[in-house]
Amino acid sequence: MRIVIGEDLFLLREGLVRLLTAHGFEVVAAVASAPELLRALVEERPDVGIVDVRLPPTHTDDGLRAALQARGQVPGLPVLVLSQYVEQLYARELLADQAGAVGYLLKDRVFNDDQFTGAIRTVAAGGTVLDPEVVQKLMVRHSRTEPVARLTPREREVLGLMAEGRSNAAIAQRLFITEKAVSKHAAGIFGKLGLEPSDDDNRRVLAVLAYLGSC
Amino acid sequence: MSFAYLVSLLLLGSIAFALVREMRKASPRPAGLRGHIRARGWGLLLLPIALMAAAMTGHVHALAVVELATAGALVTWAPRLAAKLVPYALLALALFGLILAKKYYDGFSNHVDYGLVLAGPSSWRTRLVLPQAALFFVVGLWLLVVVRAPGAGLIRALAGRWLDPRRGGIAPVQALLLIPVTGLAMQLLGPGNWFGVQALTGLDVALIDLGVATATLVLIFRSRAWAATLAAAGLLVLGAYGWVVAAFWPVVPGFAYGFADLHNSPEHAQFWSVALEASALLAAGLWLAPRVMREHQMLPADSELAARAQQLTQRVQTLTRTRSEAVDTAVAELRRIERDLHDGAQARLVAVGMSLQAAERLFASNPQAALALVGEAKESSSRALTELRDLVRGIYPPVLADRGLGDAIRALALDTPLPTVVDVDLPEQVDLPVASAIYFSVAEALANAAKHAHARSVRIVLSQAAGMLRAEVTDDGAGGADPAAGTGLAGVERRLATFDGILAVSSPPGGPTIVVIEVPCASSSAKTSSC
Repeated sequence: MRIVIGEDLFLLREGLVRLLTAHGFEVVAAVASAPELLRALVEERPDVGIVDVRLPPTHTDDGLRAALQARGQVPGLPVLVLSQYVEQLYARELLADQAGAVGYLLKDRVFNDDQFTGAIRTVAAGGTVLDPEVVQKLMVRHSRTEPVARLTPREREVLGLMAEGRSNAAIAQRLFITEKAVSKHAAGIFGKLGLEPSDDDNRRVLAVLAYLGSC
Repeated sequence: MSFAYLVSLLLLGSIAFALVREMRKASPRPAGLRGHIRARGWGLLLLPIALMAAAMTGHVHALAVVELATAGALVTWAPRLAAKLVPYALLALALFGLILAKKYYDGFSNHVDYGLVLAGPSSWRTRLVLPQAALFFVVGLWLLVVVRAPGAGLIRALAGRWLDPRRGGIAPVQALLLIPVTGLAMQLLGPGNWFGVQALTGLDVALIDLGVATATLVLIFRSRAWAATLAAAGLLVLGAYGWVVAAFWPVVPGFAYGFADLHNSPEHAQFWSVALEASALLAAGLWLAPRVMREHQMLPADSELAARAQQLTQRVQTLTRTRSEAVDTAVAELRRIERDLHDGAQARLVAVGMSLQAAERLFASNPQAALALVGEAKESSSRALTELRDLVRGIYPPVLADRGLGDAIRALALDTPLPTVVDVDLPEQVDLPVASAIYFSVAEALANAAKHAHARSVRIVLSQAAGMLRAEVTDDGAGGADPAAGTGLAGVERRLATFDGILAVSSPPGGPTIVVIEVPCASSSAKTSSC
């Protein structure tokens, strides 16, 4: 799998390259600034671009802007955005085109190899991965309002994991229940929220996020 | 001493007794006699006023007793009401003086205590009734404004248009010297006493006296400089004239000069009285004249400079205060950060190092245990990151650095558990320090809405108008927020003051709560001048 990395801190950039190479990914470009990143993303068309939000030249959200710009030029270009902090505002902007193939994670998540490489593969396959911290804030906001308040605690747990972008299998593994049980919960959630049920994981995540992000 | 005075003294004694008794009761608020006096403030004036009123009605003892007892009770147990009554009592006293003066000129033959004088049909002191009435009138109006009694707004509005805005270098007491000067001049040259020759009598004199007294007071309030000038001139002229009278007496025909009545009692002792008074007047005149001259020598530009200097002095005072507060806040903030780093991230990184060290040692002998230790180290570093993230948010929110105020507030609203509408109409670039102050102020208001007000929804409006950045946070919660009560909003006020910003809170019980934050885009500080 071909990967482009945009990260300005040398230690982190090299660490990422080493980690990904060790897991059998092919790093085709590792750049340190937003203009270089944009060029690499558009020219290399990697399977996934791993992007730090804060990059030179202005050291603000140049990385995020470059990623969004690249997706503007190459619709659906898979991008996994990493940051020292997560903002719902940025999550919304990444999800706004409804094209999927987007990830937004705290840099700490890199510590967990399996989770991190899993996220890269999900994004490469057109899926959506959202950091648990963002999802938690989304859920808090809705926990007091109808109809999310009507969900059972278990259903709310499943909804949160769905919003993070996990598949039924991953959710089942995490909650120690069968995939069948997860499907049943999912159906219950979609029924209560009035959403169209869907078997496609990606579509399902987008529907859930659109619902949670709508107010 | 009249019976009324005895009764008054008795009553004063009993009131003092009651006050002392109340003071001894474990009252948490005012401490000591000073506390009691301060708590009663202007209300205490009701006592001398009641004393004057009692003296006036001296021969109706029952009435005097009732007056004093009422005043004493009010001052003791309803100090606020007493304070509000004082200006009205003074105005009533002024009205009474007016009526009294008219009665004397119409041939009233009784003696009446009015203010500080015992007025009677043939006493020169009767002439002091009208000036005293005018004084009571003016002081009454002034106190009306000071104690904010009903009607104060009207007086304040009228006075705002009318009072002398430019005080210059003349002190109030220098302008007030015009009062004795006018009194003496009227005694000498007044319509009823033209150098000892009776010119006019009756109501005409009363009206002219009243007119002169009022004009004097008006001049003092309207233009201090001119009042002081007239006072200086009057002091010198009258003083010099007094010396002429004393030197050539009894060649110069006798008349009333201050306390000396040369017309009715031309003894030698009166000579000394005149000489003494004249010397005092000359001394006062010589003291005042150079000060007045200096005031008039100031060109208009100079006086504008003086006014500007006054403004600048005030500005420097404000800046000194807000700067020291800003420095205190900054130091406290740095200490908090240092403590958080020391107890948090630093400690965790030490733990990471120790775990890795132990893992290294166990690696060969017990790989299983070493692996567990590495897992622990990973966990610790993860926690350290979380703590650092929270700390950074508290120092300077990254999204504010990335995107500026508008988006930072939008991000803040998204992180709030309440449904929040954000309406932003801001210039492109807001200076970072100002943006940070507004951001944290809005964050505080939002946190209050969620935590204390139990609001269901919040609306935030950011706008810019007339050189001010304005943030308005409205929630539909329980209301009753008081910036003076908690530390949160008070901290916001201090933070904003550094940028000449203000915080206004409207929060009636039952809500809604509206918090308005205003910070000037362009202030005198170079740091806050762009937007």
